[in-house]
Amino acid sequence: MSYYEKNGGVAVWSFRESILFTAILLLSGLVLELLGGGNGVSLPSWPLNAIWLSGIVSGIVIAGIWGRQHWFIAWLGGIPLGLSLIFALAFLSFFGGVLPQEQGVGSEWVLRFRFNQVFSSWPFALVVLFFMINLGLSLVWKLVPFRRSNLQFILFHAGFWIALTCGLFGASDLQRVIIPLYEGEASSRGYHAGTKRTVDLPFSLHLNDFEMEEYAPQLGLYDPSRDRLEAESSNAVLQVDKGVKASWPELQVEVETYFPHALKDPQGKPVPSDTLAGTPYAFIRGTFKGKPFSGWVSTGSPHEEPVFIVLDRKLLVLIPGSAKKYRSEVMIRDERDNPRQVLLEVNRPVSINGWKLYQMGYDVEAGRWSKLSLVEGVRDPWLPAVYTGFFMILIGNVLFFWKGMKKTRVL
Amino acid sequence: MTWVEFPYAAYTAIAFWACGGAVSLAGVRKPGLKVPGLLLMLAGSAVMVLFLILFWVGLDRPPLRTLGETRLWYAILIPLVGFLVEYRWKITWLKYYCVVLAALFLSINLMSPDLYDKSLMPALQSIWFIPHVVVYLVGYVLLAASSAAAWHTLLRSPRGGMGETGESVSHYLALLGFVFLSFGLVFGALWAKEAWGHYWTWDPKETWALISWLVYLGYMHANAMNIGRRSLQWYLGLAFLVLLVSWFGVNYLPSAQNSVHSYQSV
Repeated sequence: MSYYEKNGGVAVWSFRESILFTAILLLSGLVLELLGGGNGVSLPSWPLNAIWLSGIVSGIVIAGIWGRQHWFIAWLGGIPLGLSLIFALAFLSFFGGVLPQEQGVGSEWVLRFRFNQVFSSWPFALVVLFFMINLGLSLVWKLVPFRRSNLQFILFHAGFWIALTCGLFGASDLQRVIIPLYEGEASSRGYHAGTKRTVDLPFSLHLNDFEMEEYAPQLGLYDPSRDRLEAESSNAVLQVDKGVKASWPELQVEVETYFPHALKDPQGKPVPSDTLAGTPYAFIRGTFKGKPFSGWVSTGSPHEEPVFIVLDRKLLVLIPGSAKKYRSEVMIRDERDNPRQVLLEVNRPVSINGWKLYQMGYDVEAGRWSKLSLVEGVRDPWLPAVYTGFFMILIGNVLFFWKGMKKTRVL
Repeated sequence: MTWVEFPYAAYTAIAFWACGGAVSLAGVRKPGLKVPGLLLMLAGSAVMVLFLILFWVGLDRPPLRTLGETRLWYAILIPLVGFLVEYRWKITWLKYYCVVLAALFLSINLMSPDLYDKSLMPALQSIWFIPHVVVYLVGYVLLAASSAAAWHTLLRSPRGGMGETGESVSHYLALLGFVFLSFGLVFGALWAKEAWGHYWTWDPKETWALISWLVYLGYMHANAMNIGRRSLQWYLGLAFLVLLVSWFGVNYLPSAQNSVHSYQSV
């Protein structure tokens, strides 16, 4: 090959060879995928994944320390190959970012090359493997001998290496389990979202109460022939409240009365009631094509039909408000039967026996009357390692920012 | 303030920026006009800042949920980058590109008005909401300015040379922007773990955020190699297109059907 260049006294392959090598890597991955029937790569779980990883790390360290002078190792850990692999990762991610990533979704060639699950495909696995080697070698060279001036490089690159590697190798040990809970009942079983396989958990959950807050319902003009809501003149989502005004072409309305929770009396007139049983009702007064009208509208509930006002071929309706907050009051009992009362809420998970519990969902049809709460249990033993990587990236990033600010005289 | 009042604020700001830009450009011949020009441009930004504050107060939640709301921030932050570059590095031309971009984003909002919606879904009710989105906005703004500086260099000196200052500006802004992209990506992962149970799920928005990050990571490494400076300016000029896909283009891709990152009102 004629594309040799001098790098620290060592002759190495250059950019052109790196691009060629990466292209061969991608093609080999595609061929492997084709031969394997588009089944992709699945890594072994604990402890085999840890053994594999240790092997790779040892190989990188040994090659990095003792093979440093060899042109091939120097090239394997160099920037030209690194850059080619970065582009290859971006290229493969492009497929993942454009095509829906779901099992069995896509045309025949998409499925055959596994572009519908590109992040567990052979081309991706091969590129990542060489990326790990490339990044790993460059790290060894910055670590041995250690210099303080290399700290930012080491933190950023090692952080990325650790997060990427532990995230991918740990994926086979990640467990995500959906635990359906019904009010007043306990459960110590869940199921895997993908496989639907039942999983016995090392704790039990008793749902004492599921409660939900909603935003105020929304006033809307519904056109059944087109199955859509007409845009209000101010282009706003109109949360109903006493005195709220709204207008559409030829239609002006004002909310005269609003009951967030109401039930009908024997005469059919809505009266305020307690929170649990009541349904939102609003009394509307307005004019349509110059003629005055008035009437009640209601969102309805699982126990009551909705109420609306007919205006020619359109309907003035009250749309249930979107979810504001929902939470489950749960009693957790661990393997030793120790009870613990917790409140599960979106963005507020709770930890138990190496698992993290999340408020995931509820019976959407029933809305705030739901007696079902869906809790997700996640167990990810590799998380501390991935987080170590994340925090190293963050610290490296802060140092990089600081150095950059000094260098460019901003600070 | 709501979107109803937005056109008044937007047209006023654009008018100030246009007048300020014209006066400031005239200042090349008559130096006495430089300061009034800059003040007029600053006044345009002040109008938008005031609107954003009043909009936020009226909305009862951070205006960082919909694309229209992020464009509002963008229109405020990008001229700020232009003004800061002028203040720090005495480079006067970048601010013109910045206000043109800001006016462009305001125009998109004028042409496709956003729905005024006070609701904030539970997944977004988190301490991570503001840092994650603002860090990304700052990153995007810096990289947009970097791209503008690269285009300026390429167009003003087609055969190379003369563009050293422009090259430095686009380079430094890209480095800064990359720092913010990295923060945004990691903050997003940490938040995703709390909200959705896992730090990375290859959601289309996440994938595109990674692609953008990789593209700028590629720039950093290309810069470390002996690649022509002009090629690097082309790289920065075009790299921003990937960010645009990541920011709002992703919503129009087939992969976006099941994205957990869709917060747009219908």
